Amino acid sequence: MGQLLTRVKAAVALVGALAVATTANAADWELDLDARLLTVNGPPPFIAGGLGTLRFGGDESGVRLGRARFAISQSLGEVLSVHLDASSWGDRDKTPVGLTEAYLQYRPYPRAGLRIRVKAGAFYAPISLENRLSGWESPYTLSYSAIDSWLAEEVRTLGAEGQLDWLGSRTGHDFDLGAVAGVFGWDDGAGAALAGGGFTLTDRQTVLWGRIGQPGVPPLHAAEPFRQMDGNAGAYGGLEARYLDRVVLRFLRYDNNANPGAVDAVTHTVAWNTSFDSAGLRVDGGNGWTGIIQWLKGATYISPQGVDERWPFRASYVLLSKRFGRQTLSARYDKFEVDDASATDGDDYGWQKGHAFTLAYIFQPGPRWRYTLEWLHVVSASYNREEYEDGPPMASQTQVQLAIRYALGPAARQ
Amino acid sequence: MLFGLGCLGLTGGSWGATLTVTVLMPDGHPLSGVIVTAHPSAGPAHAAEPLAAVMDQVDRAFAPDLLVVPVGSTVAFPNSDSVSHQIYSFSPAKRFQLPLYRGKAYPPVVFDQPGLVTLGCNIHDEMLAYVVVTDAPLYGATNKTGSWSAETPVGAYRISIWHPRIRDEAKYLEGEVTVGDVGSGTLTFHLAKLLKPAPLEGRPHSWDSY
Repeated sequence: MGQLLTRVKAAVALVGALAVATTANAADWELDLDARLLTVNGPPPFIAGGLGTLRFGGDESGVRLGRARFAISQSLGEVLSVHLDASSWGDRDKTPVGLTEAYLQYRPYPRAGLRIRVKAGAFYAPISLENRLSGWESPYTLSYSAIDSWLAEEVRTLGAEGQLDWLGSRTGHDFDLGAVAGVFGWDDGAGAALAGGGFTLTDRQTVLWGRIGQPGVPPLHAAEPFRQMDGNAGAYGGLEARYLDRVVLRFLRYDNNANPGAVDAVTHTVAWNTSFDSAGLRVDGGNGWTGIIQWLKGATYISPQGVDERWPFRASYVLLSKRFGRQTLSARYDKFEVDDASATDGDDYGWQKGHAFTLAYIFQPGPRWRYTLEWLHVVSASYNREEYEDGPPMASQTQVQLAIRYALGPAARQ
Repeated sequence: MLFGLGCLGLTGGSWGATLTVTVLMPDGHPLSGVIVTAHPSAGPAHAAEPLAAVMDQVDRAFAPDLLVVPVGSTVAFPNSDSVSHQIYSFSPAKRFQLPLYRGKAYPPVVFDQPGLVTLGCNIHDEMLAYVVVTDAPLYGATNKTGSWSAETPVGAYRISIWHPRIRDEAKYLEGEVTVGDVGSGTLTFHLAKLLKPAPLEGRPHSWDSY
């Protein structure tokens, strides 16, 4: 107990020192509070141990915490900076607050049209084209696409990433080109949520070393995606092309390179060998229109002790958005599917197929307040629902959320 | 300040004639904001008098995002934003970098070589601006009617135009015009190629955090 108290004191002192350093050296910081009034039906969400497809479900209608967030970016000299992003989602994770991202960035000035950027720590790989706001939020909707919801749940780079950009737009050309490569560990659990619960549409980002599902509740059993179970490092590589400030095209190939036969001796959890390809295109028109299409296809695989199970998965979405001054109206259609291609069992564990419509209206009168009204309807079929909840495999869920977000601090932006 | 008119440094000739340069887009509509520089075709000419210009950072954007200044001029880069910026240029005409932490002022930057200087922010990629440094005795920018005019001594002039959205090859952006004893000299550039799209306006500058 005494040791715990000492640790808490040390943590408080560290946060205090950080806060002092923040104000003393003019860090860019932001404090956000996002409250929701919502109505939802259908099965409970994955974080409550259910097999719903949304962030909320079951009897969770009412007033909820959307997100409480504190983020700082602190320069360490001229070309180094540290970024911390802490959030509370107001639900049943291991700890009430955790970090979604924490990294050091090396950003030397460009030379002769070329620029290098290096990140080390925990952060998102450059895949999403909708989550372009700080805190990895979307300016179009509250709930992320099925692709980005899965990345938020299970995929994070805990390692290092290097990016080389050719800044053509700074040298009289219309294009910028970039190549990115990352090396990481602690993502051997990625894939468990897809095979256990399937794709979801949520805006909940699993905090570092956080969990999905609840202890003792199948099929997720409080899975922890950010685990290192073998000596293998994962890797990804990607390419990006930009046309002026109008068009962004991204490709990325990801492989966590986990040993599919690895089993944790203490917890008996297995490593998930997960790889995928993703591609996306975003077009910003000159009249407030934005269109995004994104696609992801991959597979997750486990083979511990005679088991040989494999789940190919794919998801895609198309989003169309129109900005009218301080108001944004967006519509998105998602499709997602997890197949069971397992060799050693006779069931369809993990099979899921569904689609979703999302409509969102956002009014942001200034950098502080943001109001969002979102309607989301998802229809999905899942083998696991029948197996673990004795319910029908088909579920149709509708979630309506009114979100009020208030932001404080110099980094809070319009 | 932005499109100041420099009329100093010319030698010889008599004043009183008007030089007018007009830039038209392929559809015939005028193009404003085009930088125009004019050198006498013959004889020595001195650059216009240097000046002290300002390019601010407001709402994660350069303000203004296009400047034309005589060679030897200074440009101050204050930061009116609540966040830090890191201004850089790797253009041959002026390489520099400036970490603009909030509340910290830097001495103005001297632009001592003619040429195009492209500016960016090392933190906010969407920020882009240009400083055209000219050794011409006459310079300015086209107005809403696509025209720029100056009172000049009579004589022949080499005219150059530049704008970040123009796609026409450089050789089509230069011309000669003679300003006679009576009346005036006019030169019209008819652009052949469609312009590059204008930078997006009104989009919140926070939309590119990832």
